[in-house]
Amino acid sequence: MKKLGFILFFSCFITGVAQEIPEEEGFKIRVLESTEVEFLTSLYTQDGDNAAVSGGIGTEELTDFTPTLVVSIPLNADDVLTIDAGISAYTSASSSNVDPWDNGGPADPFTASSGASSSDIWSNFNGTYSHSSNDRNRIWTAKLSVSSEYDYFSIGFGGGYAWLFNDKNTEIGITANVYLDTWNAIYPYELRFFEANGPGLSSSFFSNITGNGTYAPSFSEFESENRNSYAVGLNFSQILSKDLQGSLSVDLVQQEGLLSTPFQRVYFADRPDFYVENFQLADDVEQLPETRSKIAVGGRLNYFLNSIFVVRTYYRFYTDDWGISSNTAKVELPIKIFQKFTIYPSYRYYDQTAADHFAAYEEHVSTEEFYTSDYDLSKFKANQYGLGILYTDIFTNFHLWHFGLKTADLKYNYYKRDSGLTAHLLSGGVKFIME
Amino acid sequence: MKKIILGCFFLAALQSCSAVKEYEKVNINDPDMDLSLRSTERFETNFQAYREAAAGANGGKTGGGCGCN
Repeated sequence: MKKLGFILFFSCFITGVAQEIPEEEGFKIRVLESTEVEFLTSLYTQDGDNAAVSGGIGTEELTDFTPTLVVSIPLNADDVLTIDAGISAYTSASSSNVDPWDNGGPADPFTASSGASSSDIWSNFNGTYSHSSNDRNRIWTAKLSVSSEYDYFSIGFGGGYAWLFNDKNTEIGITANVYLDTWNAIYPYELRFFEANGPGLSSSFFSNITGNGTYAPSFSEFESENRNSYAVGLNFSQILSKDLQGSLSVDLVQQEGLLSTPFQRVYFADRPDFYVENFQLADDVEQLPETRSKIAVGGRLNYFLNSIFVVRTYYRFYTDDWGISSNTAKVELPIKIFQKFTIYPSYRYYDQTAADHFAAYEEHVSTEEFYTSDYDLSKFKANQYGLGILYTDIFTNFHLWHFGLKTADLKYNYYKRDSGLTAHLLSGGVKFIME
Repeated sequence: MKKIILGCFFLAALQSCSAVKEYEKVNINDPDMDLSLRSTERFETNFQAYREAAAGANGGKTGGGCGCN
């Protein structure tokens, strides 16, 4: 029976390949007719009471603004260069509490501080070069990326190959990416006195300490500050009928190095509690394993219901060797309300199990090897509701200088976890075609 | 046996769909039918990569390049 299955599979595969019709040489349609410029931006806000910086309690208030520019330039008929550059400027109440004592007022995990760690800018640059074969059935891509923020730097590179066959009804693709990241480890303020050659308890900072006994954190600095990620992705997409198409994706990721976040506090249940003002002093920072293997399998199915409605669906299963598994399901219903306007409501469901090393505030004990109170690694369910409006004009009738407007997109999302965190995301973009 | 029947059904479905020609792809080529993410969805993928442990298999980040998972 197995042999029969294999024979059936290969006969179908070969038949599909045999249907490929070589295109005539001579006239070649350009992969990209002219330069495209896209401005994208978003405003994200969140709030919650389980900040990882303060060991699972405290404000998670955060605001993030991300202007981005994407330019795609046709270098010739076959090759396209895409430059994607942007920043992410954020203010974060929880990261401000890496040092909560620089505010002037009494330090408190539920109050934002105004110090240096309260805001930062993440800058990102991506360059992608793609080459298509003469028959447009094979596409090679190469990618370089650099990103930087105050305590984090990353350089990444990768490539991909896609093969279309069966009258471009079937596509198989593979991508591979490597990210080489480096932390500039920033530790919670009270623990910096216990770094190598630090003054320890003799510092004047501890003159107002309250608590029973002697404050003695388990803290030591991380020896390595590098984090490497290796990702391989496989993709298969298929047109299933004149109105239906779908895809399957598999991503395999291996990470190694410093996977803990150096400024996230942990409080142990078997250690006495100490405070300076209203802020509890850390027993340690989170400690997570130095390797992590992830696998994600996802599928999309899009159905053209009629000239007004399209149904877009997505499902993903994820699991890793930290004990987390998750399900993601999303459905979107684009509705063409006028010739050029589409509104698209969407709903997304997400759940995950907790990491093996997660426990809430004051639930870890000091004898454990690994520990974290980061609620992003806890068990939770989340619901996300979105509504977008899209303007599309393929003839680019509206002009700004030498650019014709092709699309304008605006979307609002509301996100809510059952653990209490809520978030709002407003995102938008306009795409222009150079005349 | 069920698996084989299902497999045959799936492969037969693949074969039947291979007949879609370029001139029949009007609906398939509708921008809303695109299997890739919308441009603005990158921001959703980005915040989810920070706030959720799972990532990948969606055309977005799988890890690396940020202080997230």
